[in-house]
Amino acid sequence: MATLRLKNLVKKFDEVVAVDHINLDVADGEFVTLLGPSGCGKTTTLRTIAGFYYPDEGEVYFGDRIMNNVPPNKRDTAMCFQSYALFPHMTVWDNISFGLKMRKIPQSEQKKRIEKAMEMLSLEDLGKRKPGQLSGGQQQRVALARSIVTEPQALLFDEPLSNLDAKLRVQVRVEIREMQKRLGITAIYVTHDQDEALAISDRIVIMNQGRIEQLGDPYTIYRKPETRFVAGFIGLANIFDAEVAAVTGNICTMNTSFGQIVIDATGQELPAPGDTVYLSFRPEDMKIRDRESANQITGIVDQVVFMGDVTDLFIEVKGFKMRAQSDDEAKISPGDRVTFGVSPRAFSILRR
Amino acid sequence: MAKKDPYSLTTILMLLPGVGFIVFFIGSSITLTVLQSFGLYSLTGESQFTFSFWKSILLSREALDSLKFSLKMGLLSSVGTVLVAFPLALFFRKAGAGKGLLGSIIKIPLFIPALVAAFLILNLISYHGLINTVLMRLGLISEPKRMLNDSFGWGVVTIQVWKNLPFVLLILMSAISSIRDDTIDAARNLGAGYWSILFRIYIPLAMPGILVAMILMFIKAFGDFPITSVAGPIYPASVAMRMQTMAHIFQEWNQAAVLGVIIIVTTFFVVWAYSRFAELVQGDN
Repeated sequence: MATLRLKNLVKKFDEVVAVDHINLDVADGEFVTLLGPSGCGKTTTLRTIAGFYYPDEGEVYFGDRIMNNVPPNKRDTAMCFQSYALFPHMTVWDNISFGLKMRKIPQSEQKKRIEKAMEMLSLEDLGKRKPGQLSGGQQQRVALARSIVTEPQALLFDEPLSNLDAKLRVQVRVEIREMQKRLGITAIYVTHDQDEALAISDRIVIMNQGRIEQLGDPYTIYRKPETRFVAGFIGLANIFDAEVAAVTGNICTMNTSFGQIVIDATGQELPAPGDTVYLSFRPEDMKIRDRESANQITGIVDQVVFMGDVTDLFIEVKGFKMRAQSDDEAKISPGDRVTFGVSPRAFSILRR
Repeated sequence: MAKKDPYSLTTILMLLPGVGFIVFFIGSSITLTVLQSFGLYSLTGESQFTFSFWKSILLSREALDSLKFSLKMGLLSSVGTVLVAFPLALFFRKAGAGKGLLGSIIKIPLFIPALVAAFLILNLISYHGLINTVLMRLGLISEPKRMLNDSFGWGVVTIQVWKNLPFVLLILMSAISSIRDDTIDAARNLGAGYWSILFRIYIPLAMPGILVAMILMFIKAFGDFPITSVAGPIYPASVAMRMQTMAHIFQEWNQAAVLGVIIIVTTFFVVWAYSRFAELVQGDN
């Protein structure tokens, strides 16, 4: 197993810069997710780690070794593809044994490892089948078995779950995470699905236009987004302009289009009075029964959307549209005038 | 939904021109040829059931040499063309600079009739042809090499390969283009080098196309007349050439029919062997 480091990594396709000076350190056994919209460079980064692309600038390190010019078949990574990429002419068993054969592992050892991997992924009865005779979930598990039997230095996942239905996706992602933890293999996981990223990762790298927007554990990424892009991309957020009126210790007073609000910026970079910033907070931070918080926001309910576990509210506050959530016991209907409390700790100050 | 009769009157009427043509003209002529080989429906002389024509062909050294020669040409041409075309098909798998032009140049022989193709190549490989002249001038050989009408038939094989390369290339390219990039990437990622990918991924996955190409090439080269008559050895002739000699020079139409039946039966046998082999390769998938 190994640590992985990307240093000032640049990858261009003709004039298009797909990956733009990326720096990333992944610890041994860590599970890191590259998350971003399509075209953000996450898959290019992954394929550069696998060796399918060679970097134009910067370095890829496995441990202390520079891998820049090492071809993919000598890198000892194992990749799971979105299309599974199983060999259609081989049985499940032969698919799983392929990497071991290429590494010239002795037959008896091969058998032991394949049986263990098949047991781990409940594939015992499918050894003689061909990929075409398997369901999507089974194919994905064969692809997983095929990548772990070689005991690679790093597991690379390229949106492995996007071809599965919603229920199966949750089940397989739990399996992937458990398996990775048990084997202790460093893993890089690419997805555009934020729920998946939040659920599965030790750390998340949010990418946008070839650059890293923010790097952090799921909690920090969700609760303390640093940029407007991250706040808008992960979960739902109310984002608005604000001007800093006063800063006292960690407490900032801000002027907004719908009145003055107070923020506790503990742990965040403090702005100076007179700065204009973006502020964001999550819909679930608008508490309808909170009368204690320093910030009380009153608005007219525009739309009420029942979602099952929560009810989404669209509220107009002095011309500014906000989203809130409530439980259905609040019995709110469109046209109601409601007041919400938002804790000073709920706000994130975003870089402009 | 109620089960519909798959062959309504309209369907039959619409199929008739195509299927009827094949059944009537091809079917009747094959039947006639088979009957003629047994002495019936003779074009010349009396009609009478007999094995004598089969006997005289199967016992004649010339006819058997022709059969052996045609089988050899069929086999070598089909293997040779696929061997040359497969690397090219791999090369053309990915678009690249200049590949469009190169692809068009390679396809030229497709539009040249076999006889003309044979004459074109003649200029190159004949005793006083371009290749011999150049090699002589360069002092690499002291006397011209016999590349045409050689007793083995390499001249025929060379022209067959050149002439049919684009045709086989088209079949192989479509077979190879159906192999997904991800599949190749997965193999590389799992540690497969160039040769492993060739023998474990490309060739097995392209096998149906390879077999189709080989069988079509075999049939073409086995039944060849024009290329063998221009570039083939003095002896033996190909089966098709012998057939023509029999019918037109010796007026032995029944023996010619026997040779015709041999060509047809061999072709059917090869197709049957192919489908058996294809089943084996594909397995139960």
